[in-house]
Amino acid sequence: MKTPQPLVHSVASAFSPLAGGPAWPREGSPPVREDAAAQRRQRIEHDFQAEQRQQRRSGRRRQTVLGVLGVLLFLLAWEIAPRVVPGINTKMFPPPSQVWGVFWEMTYTKGEIWPHVGASLQRALWGFIVGAGLGVAVGVLTGRVTVLRQLSDPVLHGLRAIPAIAIVPLAIVWFGLGDVSKVALIAWGAFFPVWINTFIGVRDIPATYLRSAATLGAGRWATLAQVALPAALPFVFAGLRHATATAFVVLVAAELVGAEEGLGFLISFAHLVFRVDVMFVGLLYLGAIGFAADQLFAWALHRFFPWYGAEARR
Amino acid sequence: MTQPAVQVRDAAKLYASTTGALNWALTDVSLDIGAGEFVCAIGPSGCGKTTLLNLIAGFVQPTLGTVTAQGRPVQAPGPDRGVVFQEYALYPWLSARRNVEFGLRQQGLPAAQRRERVNEMLALTGLDKAADRYPFEMSGGMRQRVAVARALATRPQVLLMDEPFAAIDALTRSALQTELLRIWQELQLSVFFITHNIEEAVFLAQRIVIMSPHPGRILDIVEVDLPYPRDRGSAAFGAVYARVSEAFTQLVQEAG
Repeated sequence: MKTPQPLVHSVASAFSPLAGGPAWPREGSPPVREDAAAQRRQRIEHDFQAEQRQQRRSGRRRQTVLGVLGVLLFLLAWEIAPRVVPGINTKMFPPPSQVWGVFWEMTYTKGEIWPHVGASLQRALWGFIVGAGLGVAVGVLTGRVTVLRQLSDPVLHGLRAIPAIAIVPLAIVWFGLGDVSKVALIAWGAFFPVWINTFIGVRDIPATYLRSAATLGAGRWATLAQVALPAALPFVFAGLRHATATAFVVLVAAELVGAEEGLGFLISFAHLVFRVDVMFVGLLYLGAIGFAADQLFAWALHRFFPWYGAEARR
Repeated sequence: MTQPAVQVRDAAKLYASTTGALNWALTDVSLDIGAGEFVCAIGPSGCGKTTLLNLIAGFVQPTLGTVTAQGRPVQAPGPDRGVVFQEYALYPWLSARRNVEFGLRQQGLPAAQRRERVNEMLALTGLDKAADRYPFEMSGGMRQRVAVARALATRPQVLLMDEPFAAIDALTRSALQTELLRIWQELQLSVFFITHNIEEAVFLAQRIVIMSPHPGRILDIVEVDLPYPRDRGSAAFGAVYARVSEAFTQLVQEAG
């Protein structure tokens, strides 16, 4: 590892008059010495930047290494647990070494997992888009228009109190076992967290934002779209993030009860044929997809709304 | 004499707290702000200075009395009266340029004209180099410049400022004061400027409105006929300062 020692030395010498001239040119100093001073300063700045980059890089590397190490430790504990805890049947609690074979076969050799992953992802995505879109729209309207809020308050809060999972049987009766019932259920589940967060965000906008919009001549719709919605975005994002989690919960619940494909169906089918290892593969995929979705979300946030993080840190 | 930019006649404002207690934030206020005049309002908290600004801006309606701007009754906020808030109120999701552009967009100005006007405003406030920065990337002084540029972009006749430099360090503040005076003279604006800093008021204003709380009212109006630019160290400056300060001491004694 590189130590910061040489950098400290060069800084000290650059500022010391004994080491040959000031780091910054003074009035009346000869041009040759000015050049030398400027060069020295540049070198210090260059070293400093290199040091900073190095630090950032090693910080990121440590994050990655420790993250991977955490996963390995988890797998190790999982591998050891069924062997050392008495009375555990490895058929019921297969260690990673046993799951791995099935995982590889389903992922690569036979590839039978992919239709299930595809079906689940598609349902989750469409349900999420529909539910979140409605949630944002209704949230902004109820947050800004008092009449709409008062009108919809008891109904929306009443509906929100019903767990989405409780509606699964009804959705199957109405929409059948196909994709429509799943998408509708996920949309239902995703709607409420997005709505309630957007609503709070829009309702609690700093008054000066609205006042300055009014003095700058913004009308009702312009204020809604150009001020209220962006000002509420931090809340909207919190709602969206919550909604992704809800979407997966509802998705699996719907697929467990009645479906012809999907990860939830896979798990439920594995239960019927008593293949715990296949159940584990399904769970692994659910975890991985959830993790990837969250990472993607964080990345998109950082990429498209650079101001958002700075606001949130305040 | 030409028509005043703002005319407040016998205005009073009554508020009710959540517990139902009534509070006269402002009583019997009559004030004219002339075209091109710089007026400061100064007073302890609760004296109704912000309420007065809110009335002129059109954020609230007076309980009694009338407020007119350019001879028309004030009914709502509008781009003829620009407002600069203490807490900047810049939109964090827009860059400096887009913040300044906001009011022009509302007017439906074509892009080329918007661009020209924004550049003009950014140059006026010395922000040319920071145009594409977001508020979180700017210092307090720069943010307040953007806020001034944004308020001025729609070419208001009146600029209302609510303790705009209160949260800014002393050195930056005095630079901003000098710049504000330059902009005021260049654009021949009427300015209504709220402060709790006597020195700031004496440095900026042609007239200082001294206000007093419980109920909020105008205590005295001090004419400041010192030429610009003003010298904070001069004897004349000191004399005006002393006069305003004395009015305050009296106020505190009355309260105690």
